[in-house]
Amino acid sequence: MDFEWAPEYTDFRDELRGFIQQWRTPELIAEYAATHGGQGPRIREFHEAIAERGWMRMCWAKEVGGEGRNMLYQFIFVEEMEYWGMPYGNLTFTSIAPSIATFGTEQQKRHYLPGIYRGEFVFAIGYSEPNAGTDLAALRTRAERDGDEWVINGQKIWTSLADVSTHIWLAVRTDPDAPRHAGISIIVVPTDTPGVTIRPLYTMYGGHTNETFYDDVRVPVENVVGGVNAGWGVIMHALNHERVGLAATGGLARIYDQLLEYLREERPDRLADPVVRGRLAELELDLREHRMLALQNAWIISKGGTPIVEASMAKVSGTELRTRIANVAMDLLGRSGALSAESGDRAPFEGRAEFNFRLSPIFRFGGGTNEIQRDIIGFAGLGLPR
Amino acid sequence: MNLDLNDTQELLQQTVRDFLERELPFDRIRELERDGAWDQPLWKEVCRQGWLGLPFREEFGGAAGGLVDSGVLLEEFARRAAIVPALEALISGRVMQSRATAELASEWIPLILSGECVPVPALLEANDRFGDVKAQVREGRLRGEKSFVDYGQCATHHLVAARDAGELGLFLVDARTDRVECETLRNIGRTPQCSVVYSDAPVQRVSGEDGYLELVALGRSLSAVQCVGHMQQALDMTVEYAGVREQFGKRIGSFQAVRHHCANMFMRVSSARLLAFEALSGLDAGRLDPRQIAAAKAAASRAVPEVTMLAHQIHGGNGVIEENDLYFFTLRGKERSLAWGTAEECLAELAESVDARCEWL
Ligand SMILES: Cc1cc2nc3c(=O)[nH]c(=O)nc-3n(C[C@H](O)[C@H](O)[C@H](O)COP(=O)(O)OP(=O)(O)OC[C@H]3O[C@@H](n4cnc5c(N)ncnc54)[C@H](O)[C@@H]3O)c2cc1C
Repeated sequence: MDFEWAPEYTDFRDELRGFIQQWRTPELIAEYAATHGGQGPRIREFHEAIAERGWMRMCWAKEVGGEGRNMLYQFIFVEEMEYWGMPYGNLTFTSIAPSIATFGTEQQKRHYLPGIYRGEFVFAIGYSEPNAGTDLAALRTRAERDGDEWVINGQKIWTSLADVSTHIWLAVRTDPDAPRHAGISIIVVPTDTPGVTIRPLYTMYGGHTNETFYDDVRVPVENVVGGVNAGWGVIMHALNHERVGLAATGGLARIYDQLLEYLREERPDRLADPVVRGRLAELELDLREHRMLALQNAWIISKGGTPIVEASMAKVSGTELRTRIANVAMDLLGRSGALSAESGDRAPFEGRAEFNFRLSPIFRFGGGTNEIQRDIIGFAGLGLPR
Repeated sequence: MNLDLNDTQELLQQTVRDFLERELPFDRIRELERDGAWDQPLWKEVCRQGWLGLPFREEFGGAAGGLVDSGVLLEEFARRAAIVPALEALISGRVMQSRATAELASEWIPLILSGECVPVPALLEANDRFGDVKAQVREGRLRGEKSFVDYGQCATHHLVAARDAGELGLFLVDARTDRVECETLRNIGRTPQCSVVYSDAPVQRVSGEDGYLELVALGRSLSAVQCVGHMQQALDMTVEYAGVREQFGKRIGSFQAVRHHCANMFMRVSSARLLAFEALSGLDAGRLDPRQIAAAKAAASRAVPEVTMLAHQIHGGNGVIEENDLYFFTLRGKERSLAWGTAEECLAELAESVDARCEWL
């Protein structure tokens, strides 16, 4: 057992940090906040700079245009981007790309992957429906074959980023007579296809997600990824990768560090209070524990595997910790902890504690709810009976 | 980075586990507990097999391994609730190896590894505060009192923290003379423990304050591993029980509430183990990071009651009878969670230096 990072990884991290410091301008951050994960001129420029260095595809196989580097590099890349709050393609990069690389046809890989690493393609994910949340296999949006095309009809909800996306990664029922899990397919729908309607749903954290409606939407048959009626396995694979991303330590550590820095600079009186220091110490301990679970993911990835139970553990621990950090941070900041970014300089570190308090619930139920993750840990990790 | 055990460590783990399952029935532990005794035959075997010598230099008869190896060993002992002074003798010897003079180390360490000499640390006094040491050494003789000395009445020697001309240090004392008087303390873990009065007992100086700090770091890291072993065993027993016990015509492990309790236990044990081994791996790499070590012990200590009490919840009535083996891990776990720094003490240490910058990524 050895917990040290080899020099090639620490060197890569240093290089990445230097690069981020150079690009992390207030203008870029403002654009990222305003577009809620979408695109703008500065983000596009940043993506080009990342693409130029090959970082988006460094861990992809050589056949699909990558360098075939150890996945640990990508893990480090995501951690650093999350820590500094930089746009890097997010789920399109961490979840959709590896799924296309695993399940896509040669043609699909050649078409989608370069667009993803250049930051030109943004995928929205269309799994959830009004009556298919945790019980995703209850989904009813259907696709029927008509010659060389699929004809899609139905409704999705929580199709985040659909309004700024180029494609929708859509889960549809292609065989209504098969057992629930065996009649589902993944179809890629270009967002500008006629018949796709997008309606925003505004959220309490300021951003929005969408409802999407599909009325006789026609796409070519070859847009199925992973085979007709074989979509469930593709979805599980993609969700697993999504969870490894959700389990990242970066974003959480950043809030903690900013809180500490703020108290040190602005409120040394509070930081001197032993009760305050005690609560900070508990957060530090929580973070250290969580970091170990995330590191365990990294270790499995580095061996060429895909963490499943370990990803569930880190997903549960990280998402629940996000709420705790935001909550404690607000408590320790007092009344000013409730000030949002719109209050300008009066809001401690751009109102990030307050913002994360509003944001944090979605991670706990998104990407497979934590109740389901605990089921996975129990079944797959401990072998408990069904 | 490598979070797996290497081949030698895996072999060690399997060998020790098989050996203890074969040779150490839980009824034997019940007997030892009743008599307030320790497992001398097992200790002989531990020394004979060379398990104690894993992290010692070859010149002393050791295997030139690391503390991670010892962590593997101690976790297995904890999973079997073995009553041997493994942690105590091991860390006393390690501090001698790193801090004592060459003569002293080469005189004593081989005796420790052979089992002839069983040294145990005696740091705390009645006030139960690390660093608050009143025992005095004057002209080579020790005067003072110690408390919470694990296996003190079983040991041949005590490695005592005392002040000599005001300077904190560690001193080796022969515990078998009439100048050393042990009084037994009964604790919740049912392991041997005592308070000690030293009346001008002759000493040999082992180290200064640096040795004391190292001893605490070692005790902390390894007692965190002991906590993990106790918790892991409680978890394993619980998962097994949940797979056979039926109510409402179903195995209770199929109830989601029970499953989620188990998942929570598993997460607690996993992160506590990783932190504990991170501490040992750091020490093996020559880094003594007191904040990381305090965090490791705090995590293990605070997880113990959560995990073992959930184990009891899932065992229901069966878990509290003495015929059931669960109580070993609940009680021993709680005792270990207090040893070498409680969750509270370790968190207070983190709190004191909370502005220190952490490298999270
Ligand atoms: C802002 C936002 C963005 C989102 N983005 C996307 C997206 O881009 N694409 C997408 O497809 N989806 C997205 N989602 C949907 C998200 O994945 C779902 O909200 C999630 O799957 C939970 O489904 P639900 O909201 O219908 O809750 P429900 O399924 O109704 O669950 C409610 C509660 O019941 C519990 N529960 C349900 N079943 C069980 C069970 N068997 N055992 C124990 N407890 C159970 C759940 O754990 C949860 O606590 C987003 C949601 C939000 C709010």
